[in-house]
Amino acid sequence: MAAITSSVPFAEAPARRKTFPFLLIALLLPMAIINFVAFVLPVIRLGMISFIESRSGGVLTNNYTLENYADFFTDSFSIELVSNSLILGFGVTLITLCCAYPIALFLHRVSPKWRNMLFVITVSPLLVSSVVRTYGWMVILGDQGVFNGILMSSGIIDSPLRLTNNTLGVFIGMVEVLIPYMALSLIAGFGRLENVYEEAAASLGANSWTRFRRVILPLTAPGIALGCLLCFVLSISSFITPKLLGGGRVFLLATEIYDQAVIQLEWPTAAAISVIVLIIFGLALAVYSRVVKRFD
Amino acid sequence: MQTQELRQVIPAAETNTGDQAFLKLKGITKRYGVDYMAVDDLDIDVPKGKLLGLLGPSGCGKTTTLRMIAGLLDITRSKITIDGDDISHKPPHKRDIGLVFQNYALFPHMTVAQNVAFGLEMRGVGRVEARDRVEEALEMVRLPGYGERKPKEMSGGQQQRVALARALVIRPRLLLLDEPLSNLDAKLRDDMRIEIREIQQRLQITTVFVTHDQVEALTMCDLVGVMHKGKLAQLGTPEDIYERPADLFVADFVGRTNILDGEIEALDRVRIGASVYPCNTRGLTSGKAKAAIRPHRISLTPSRDRSLVSMATNAAHGKVTRVTYIGDVVQYDIDIGGNTLTTEVHTASAGHSFQSGEKLLCEWKPQDMQVFAQGSGN
Repeated sequence: MAAITSSVPFAEAPARRKTFPFLLIALLLPMAIINFVAFVLPVIRLGMISFIESRSGGVLTNNYTLENYADFFTDSFSIELVSNSLILGFGVTLITLCCAYPIALFLHRVSPKWRNMLFVITVSPLLVSSVVRTYGWMVILGDQGVFNGILMSSGIIDSPLRLTNNTLGVFIGMVEVLIPYMALSLIAGFGRLENVYEEAAASLGANSWTRFRRVILPLTAPGIALGCLLCFVLSISSFITPKLLGGGRVFLLATEIYDQAVIQLEWPTAAAISVIVLIIFGLALAVYSRVVKRFD
Repeated sequence: MQTQELRQVIPAAETNTGDQAFLKLKGITKRYGVDYMAVDDLDIDVPKGKLLGLLGPSGCGKTTTLRMIAGLLDITRSKITIDGDDISHKPPHKRDIGLVFQNYALFPHMTVAQNVAFGLEMRGVGRVEARDRVEEALEMVRLPGYGERKPKEMSGGQQQRVALARALVIRPRLLLLDEPLSNLDAKLRDDMRIEIREIQQRLQITTVFVTHDQVEALTMCDLVGVMHKGKLAQLGTPEDIYERPADLFVADFVGRTNILDGEIEALDRVRIGASVYPCNTRGLTSGKAKAAIRPHRISLTPSRDRSLVSMATNAAHGKVTRVTYIGDVVQYDIDIGGNTLTTEVHTASAGHSFQSGEKLLCEWKPQDMQVFAQGSGN
């Protein structure tokens, strides 16, 4: 029997398709290896370090302990760090969403002739490093900066507005840095929004506010969820912009990790805070997948 | 005080009784840019409870007209009234018009019941009453119990019926249908045609129906407006449109037609090739002309002497050049001295079947031959 089937050339074809997908594995393998070596292993190592006992001066011992976490959760300063970071994360995400949503909606509706060009303009800030953009904001917002200069020379204010080295400056810088990411995510998630749904809602008696609330918003929810997730994660993990525009006076989890790891050389403490940040990200991801499932 | 009340009553009574037209389109015009007239000076009156079909090829302005009635497009000029109420510049959500879109436009994030209830919710209808009316509307379109489904879980025909229920549940003054059947397959289209017409007649709702399909227009509508290049080419009953086309465009667009080049010799006499035929020249006495004859109005008999044929009928000798079997009819292309006539014979009633190359006599009544001045309607 076997000889007969194998002599029929076409009979083998379906069987061959079920063989081990070598090509697929071969294409996926390099990235999987890189990911494992450069991400999974370090994260495991990070988790382990967070449980290591350290002596003063950052000397690591061989003892494992829960003290790093206990210290963190009993210290009122670290609670402030968490709340500062969460306020920044939610606040920046919300403001970025409000700024980017009209842009994304406009880009979604504009005629295809203009769309590509306007799209490139929208994401073009990504071509400039966020460090450079942050320095730009320092030039604009500083006490002797462009903005204060104009206001003072025109006599509107007498002394410069405090726009840098505080939370306000960090917010302004972060929102601007994140708008292209938010706009990209929103547009990517607007696929289901078609003009005809708004027309249908209008014909059924919905005014423009109701159309926005009942039709446009739910249909763009996947984009909003994606953009918010991305911006939330990026703003909590961001370090350069808060460091520069906060002038060392804005204390966040990300800046604290840097201080502990690089300045204090307290790696276990830095690792413990990093794990806590990772847990926050995990929670954000869980919320995201629930939102997406609900609106699908 | 009393006279004031009286005065208010009288004009209202007049608009209700004195005016036959329920929907009035008075010279409505849509211009794009400087000089492109998408819809040019359209005058249509639709009596209450009637179904108007707007028929025409794509780009003729029929959908533009519908969108202007719905308020989705601004009108460039003039006026639309429903029952005496000028809606020309009202926003769409204040027009109280039910609208069914070509691709249904059901809200994908809502269930069927939520879709149908949407318009009721906008009107502040209470929860209990809304639920009853939604179920009633779904029963009307033969989808009872489908309320909890999502639109994407339903077939095209079912989605179309939900869209119809959603538009009708608000009891609108006017129903607009934008090519509602064009996304359905042929069999379903026939069923939906009958269903929509039945519902429309049961509810006695004034309806405007946009279509490019002449069968839909002729079979469903009380009135048909044939549109061509933004203008109304003809407005009439389906029979008017088919039997008495106003111009060459209507004759050619509605139904199958032979168009022959000819010349008007005298009143009701047209020369085609070497022969002169009695016909209807609609008052014209001279000039280049096109003659239109419907294929099924031509009867075919085996060739015989012309003198045996009644003088009251037109006749031409010809030779079969092509035979096409369609099922219900057989199509014969017949060469009558330079011109080709397409004719149709019902397979059930066919006395003879003819072969390619066979010589035949074609006969038709003078009133079935419509003659139009060259260039009319083009």
